[in-house]
Amino acid sequence: MSTYQEFIQQNEDRDGVRFSWNLWPSSRLEATRLVVPVSCLFTPLKERPDLPPVQYEPVLCSRANCKAVLNPLCQVDFRAKIWACNFCFQRNPFPPSYAGISEANQPAELMPQFSTIEYIVQRGTPAPLIFLYVVDTCLEEEDLQALKESLQMSLSLLPPNALVGLITFGRMVQVHELSCEGIAKSYVFRGTKDLSAKQIQEMLGLSKPMASGQQGRPVAPQDASAFCRFLQPVHRVDMNLTDLLGELQRDPWPVPQGKRPLRSTGVALSVAVGLLEGTFPNTGARVMLFIGGPPTQGPGMVVGDELKTPIRSWHDIQKDNARHLKKATKYYEALANRSAVNGHSIDIYACALDQTGLLEMKCLSNLTGGHIVMGDSFNTSLFKQTFQRVFSKDYNGDFRMAFGGVLEVKEMGVGGTSQWKVCSLNPSTTLGLYFEVVNQHNAPVPQGGRGAVQFVTQYQHSNTQRRIRVTTIARNWADAQSQIQHIESSFDQEAAAVLMARLGVFRAESEEGPDVLRWLDRQLIRLCQKFGQFNKDDPTSFKLSESLSLYPQFMFHMRRSPFLQVFNNSPDESSYYRHHFVRQDLTQSLIMIQPILYSYSFYGPPEPVLLDSSSILPDRILLMDTFFQLVIFHGETIAQWRKAGYQEMAEYENFKQLLQAPLDDAQEILQTRFPMPRYVDTEHGGSQARFLLSKVNPSQTHNNLYAWGQETGAPILTDDVSLQVFMDHLKKLAVSSSA
Amino acid sequence: GQEKDKYIAPSAERGWNDPPQFSYNLQNARGQQKGHLTRRAAPPTSSAPPTIPLSSNPLAPPPCSLAPPPRLQGKKQNCFMMKCCHGNNRSDGFLTAGPPTTTTPPVQPGSQEEEGGGDQTQCEPDVEVVLSSLNRALATCRQSVKDQVCNDVEKRLLLLDDSWRAGKLSLPVRRRMEALSLELRAGHWDSANEIHRSLMVDHVTEVSQWMVGVKRLIAETRNLNPELLEQLQDTSVTDQDSDLLQG
Repeated sequence: MSTYQEFIQQNEDRDGVRFSWNLWPSSRLEATRLVVPVSCLFTPLKERPDLPPVQYEPVLCSRANCKAVLNPLCQVDFRAKIWACNFCFQRNPFPPSYAGISEANQPAELMPQFSTIEYIVQRGTPAPLIFLYVVDTCLEEEDLQALKESLQMSLSLLPPNALVGLITFGRMVQVHELSCEGIAKSYVFRGTKDLSAKQIQEMLGLSKPMASGQQGRPVAPQDASAFCRFLQPVHRVDMNLTDLLGELQRDPWPVPQGKRPLRSTGVALSVAVGLLEGTFPNTGARVMLFIGGPPTQGPGMVVGDELKTPIRSWHDIQKDNARHLKKATKYYEALANRSAVNGHSIDIYACALDQTGLLEMKCLSNLTGGHIVMGDSFNTSLFKQTFQRVFSKDYNGDFRMAFGGVLEVKEMGVGGTSQWKVCSLNPSTTLGLYFEVVNQHNAPVPQGGRGAVQFVTQYQHSNTQRRIRVTTIARNWADAQSQIQHIESSFDQEAAAVLMARLGVFRAESEEGPDVLRWLDRQLIRLCQKFGQFNKDDPTSFKLSESLSLYPQFMFHMRRSPFLQVFNNSPDESSYYRHHFVRQDLTQSLIMIQPILYSYSFYGPPEPVLLDSSSILPDRILLMDTFFQLVIFHGETIAQWRKAGYQEMAEYENFKQLLQAPLDDAQEILQTRFPMPRYVDTEHGGSQARFLLSKVNPSQTHNNLYAWGQETGAPILTDDVSLQVFMDHLKKLAVSSSA
Repeated sequence: GQEKDKYIAPSAERGWNDPPQFSYNLQNARGQQKGHLTRRAAPPTSSAPPTIPLSSNPLAPPPCSLAPPPRLQGKKQNCFMMKCCHGNNRSDGFLTAGPPTTTTPPVQPGSQEEEGGGDQTQCEPDVEVVLSSLNRALATCRQSVKDQVCNDVEKRLLLLDDSWRAGKLSLPVRRRMEALSLELRAGHWDSANEIHRSLMVDHVTEVSQWMVGVKRLIAETRNLNPELLEQLQDTSVTDQDSDLLQG
């Protein structure tokens, strides 16, 4: 139904919300029968250049356990100046400042087009942004030089009032005092011994913060530098800090043959978290960790310093042969939780040819909303430009980063309110929210015929203002027994695919791989059984309506994706891919699940083609976007023409244009995506062609040790097959009366 | 020329599959994302595996040699890029080609170099002129800004001077420094800052030793009290006249 497509798109554009179902089943039982839960992808700070924030505070419902924000769904009595909360039905008087409102003169928050609205909260002093660099010095000379330059460059990109700090580490951990004059002093900690926050604060001579213990009362900028010599305003220390960075040396401790450098990442992070905790609790801050290898000593070590002991692989983990894994993960989780409680986020910039311990450390970013960037070396354009983009600015010249986010979700009736902390956010950060319908079966449809949900996101804007963004949405309830076709046509298969995929990834963190695939398959089969049109036991009769037609394909690709198939990647790579998968918006998430493939030829404009080996033709150029890689593949004939140099000849100008076309189209992606993707330019027979081939063909090399699909009972879809065979098998199982 | 300034091709030596590098200006030129590459092909409906379409290429190479690609015919222009053909990216159907246009490299937004008169015969920036502008600003700052800070800035201006005279600075850097000094002279603080940022991003290796001094100079100069600023701008105007007189 084209109207639902439009409805879905308009809602996403306005509210940043995509629901799996846009008509909600009216009972819990019916909701479970729909297989895909009522759930949504929500982008709290979706970029809305057309939505200027209002300069007043939101009006709240007066009921103590409600406090919903006034919104377009509320009933209003303009004469009596009273509004009825649509969540708890409490009648509230308008505040005195609303005395002048009327039908003809309504405040923005009552108008339907302002279902999403942003308020600037006036109270409180603006708190400065804080950036604490934590830098590994056990790098190769060239790498360290490149990193130093990137850090110096970043000082030019920070706002002048931001506070900045520097901790360097290798075998020891050094906290640098940033003063404006004379000798550079630093405090040194041993990298082997963990210290409590209190010990760290004492050793650094940190006095109690002026606003210590006070909820949400940040320290004014001018007081900050008075008591914290380690975190100073950029405008004051930029020259000295630039010099200090320029003079950084490689970790002086010699690394014997056959050994890894002693890297005390655990203690370095502990000091960083403790420093911020003791000086700026409840203020937006970013700890930026730069590492060139794994932690090899002290708490949080991931591998020993003997090179002959490799860092754990997935096989090691399966065999329970990863000695440090549990302990290290627990250590970093504790740090991550402390950081999150304080509203501080942690980024990890890991550049090395081998693994660096992202598997153990990922919680630092995942629990705090920080970034994970993974590259081969700091001396690559991938790292340099990705890092630059951390500081990119929006249409207003403000940073695309927000801090100290607290998201509250309010639903009608029983549910009440749920709250989550998201310490660091950007305009594309997207959360997956899963709802439970609690109505009893056969109970009447709730009053008003519509369910409503309100998202309230409080956060610190990068210009240091505190803001509140409120999104209020409603969808009609429907009786699943009489209106199943309407409910079906309200299905958003793209959103559903991403939401189910996120559930799969969540499960994969704690369950065995084959179990997750089994679960995903089971849900797909059930969905097809419920909504497919077919004659019993006749697979050829099977049909899916338009609103579900692409869903099986998404699931096919999801099963083969690096998010669920881990054995082709290192544990660090899997962690990295999953980290990005569960925070991107819908469009980018779909690209990750099912890469985009475009074909360029002389025969017409570029067109999307199937992600299948049949799309690889000698006279075509293919452009594939997997989100993490952009691959340009030249077919055999194209490659031969290129080698023969036809593009240099004037009369074959059109061939030159054809070669250039995919590069130009890729440019927008390359210019804007965070993190920057790898870029593969390859051709028929090229070694890099494997990136394309592995995506379009059933994986031939996938010989895993687990023979799933051979248990009795649960119906299962076979792996390692083409989409066609997968669909055939799916149809067989869906129509089978014995399933 | 200017193109080299904007886009550095991927280097095989650097990282594995390292992407190309975009200049500061090019990256910041992003407008609303059009999201061109978002469509997918419809799934196959029949049970049979997709057939490989017969290539209708009339120039299928003969067995022993490579036939050339289709030749450019007269004024006919081919439309290969998504960008020029792009319609509604939400539709599932095959889009008919839009009005054909030549593929051209993306238009560069007015860069600071071009503001100063984009003629190709622009003369080599004069280090004397550039440094004297900066030093004049510094001298004015000395009247109200801490000595320590001014000395630190001066140290770096000397480094800049040395590097320039020793031929260590590339042409784009020299050009942009000239533009920066002009913006500073004219009191266009934000523009001057943008140029400083673009230099730090695009040419950090060449400029990192001294650029933070220039950055600080801009920051301190813009904060001077109006009296001092007027003083600075008056002397600048006088010098400009005298430059013109000298031809």
